Amino acid sequence: MRSRFRYVLLVPALLFALAPVYWMLTISLKSEVDQFATPPPWFVFTPTLDHYYDAFVTRGFGEYLLNSAIVSVSSTICALVIGTLAAYALTRFELPWRLNRHLSLWILSTRMFPAIVTAVPLFLMMRDLRLLNTRASLIIVYTAFNLPFVVWMMRGFFADLPRDLEEAALVDGDSRLGALVRVVLPLVAPGLAATAVFCLIISWNEFLFALVLTQTDAAMTLPVGIAGRVTQYEIKWGVMSAAASVALVPILVFALALQKYLVRGLSLGAVKG
Amino acid sequence: MGIEFRNVSKHFGGASVVDDLSLEIRDGEFVVLLGPSGCGKTTTLRMLAGLETVSSGDIFIDSERVNDVPTQHRDLAMVFQSYALYPHMTIAENIGYPLRVRKFDKAQRVERVNRVAAMLEIESLLERKPRQLSGGERQRVALARAIVREPRAYLMDEPLSNLDARLRVQMRGELKRLQHQLGTTTIYVTHDQAEAMTLASLVAVMRKGRLQQFDTPMNIYNCPANRFVAEFVGSPSMNFIEGERTTIGIRPEHIQIFSEPRDGAIAASVYVTELMGNETFVFLSFGTNRLIARAPADFRAEVESKVWLQLAKDKMHYFDPKSGESLTQRHKV
Repeated sequence: MRSRFRYVLLVPALLFALAPVYWMLTISLKSEVDQFATPPPWFVFTPTLDHYYDAFVTRGFGEYLLNSAIVSVSSTICALVIGTLAAYALTRFELPWRLNRHLSLWILSTRMFPAIVTAVPLFLMMRDLRLLNTRASLIIVYTAFNLPFVVWMMRGFFADLPRDLEEAALVDGDSRLGALVRVVLPLVAPGLAATAVFCLIISWNEFLFALVLTQTDAAMTLPVGIAGRVTQYEIKWGVMSAAASVALVPILVFALALQKYLVRGLSLGAVKG
Repeated sequence: MGIEFRNVSKHFGGASVVDDLSLEIRDGEFVVLLGPSGCGKTTTLRMLAGLETVSSGDIFIDSERVNDVPTQHRDLAMVFQSYALYPHMTIAENIGYPLRVRKFDKAQRVERVNRVAAMLEIESLLERKPRQLSGGERQRVALARAIVREPRAYLMDEPLSNLDARLRVQMRGELKRLQHQLGTTTIYVTHDQAEAMTLASLVAVMRKGRLQQFDTPMNIYNCPANRFVAEFVGSPSMNFIEGERTTIGIRPEHIQIFSEPRDGAIAASVYVTELMGNETFVFLSFGTNRLIARAPADFRAEVESKVWLQLAKDKMHYFDPKSGESLTQRHKV
């Protein structure tokens, strides 16, 4: 009874979440005639890879994919390194004037206004630094935007870790950094993994800054590239769906690979022991 | 050689945790810091380890002032109350960790880890993870990690307090034997006076951040410097009889109980008796005073029955009722 009830709840939720994905996948495989047929051929149609060919061979989606990958992976790594060190410092060193708390709140406050507010200043800054239309500009911006998230997530994980372990490592002769790398980080690995997945997803799907800071193919990422197929004269549904379907794959693979950590990471600290 | 605390104080915010502590520990000594919780003994140990900063005063290791030397350069080994074993490493990796960070080569590491593992009889555990071990086994691993290299001193923070009573007594003996074998200076923190008495070559009794007495276990027991030390050391505790000018202290084993009146004996009544197996604790009352006496196991007395007590005069202690300081002049050994 119990398990049957579980399915009653699960099936609608899954349908709700996966129907758009199914729609996108089928559009990417349908010829244009099938795409606009009424009623739509839900399951039976002649699949074609034309749109994939069009997107990745004729047009530059391969390059966008590469840009997206470089930008998201780099910014995720940067945000994790900087954010983890910051979080460690904030949890383990006592700063004067209750700065630990004030700094943490200040870091969080950078996420309290809408992102669009910073779009114009960032555009001007990047222009003056001659970084417009470069991957570097996006890496910098994404790192900055992911940092508060990383700091707050990791702060929680570090706070849950008994200090004895690091102190033991120090007494055993290890340096602070050595203790962090050899003792602390392996123990917060699930948290690190969960944080990494979120950073990656946010960077991978980011649209606003990518649109503002890149206009040429040199640094254009997938979301902007896909949206660019909505033109004055036509909307290339097939190409857009094909590109979007491919865009789904890396994140899916990454999340699946880290699934084991993801569940542990998200519930870490929730239950003692 | 040795360790010295010179006028060391520690404040947390406004609270004084360690107050003007001066202590000289010679090389090879087994010193126990003894006191109730909150007396500053653990903070003292952590300051020596460099895990806590010193508010004022100086700490010397081998005549080198170490106040500003970071923990990892003090060359000490510490056993934590929680054992602090690295959960993601095997037992062999745990024990070998101090060698690994000191860049010992692999062969040397394996050789040393195996040697201490044999010494502590944990060879069969080397491939396991800490969570698969019992409390006593974890304790041994923590010890092994401390003795795998030759540090300048061992610091132990209540290392036996998480073990059950039987295991604690066994490990206590092994610790003493181990220190005897290694001859390395050891500073051991505990609130258990029995551990202090059995392990220490010198006991430092602390209370509210202040050192009360620093002496051999014998002298701590026989010539307590003040009422606090007298009361804290010994089980059951010393009895106190409050007088106007002095407080008299007498240990339970120095009270003899007679069923008939005799010269110089004080009349009292039995409050309750507790048979411990090898002896009997007799709780007595006379006037407003309550006393505990140790009697042989075959001692029998009804509750409320009248008895006569003989207090050994030469074993009495006298304390100032106000300051609690000892007024007894006794030859120390």
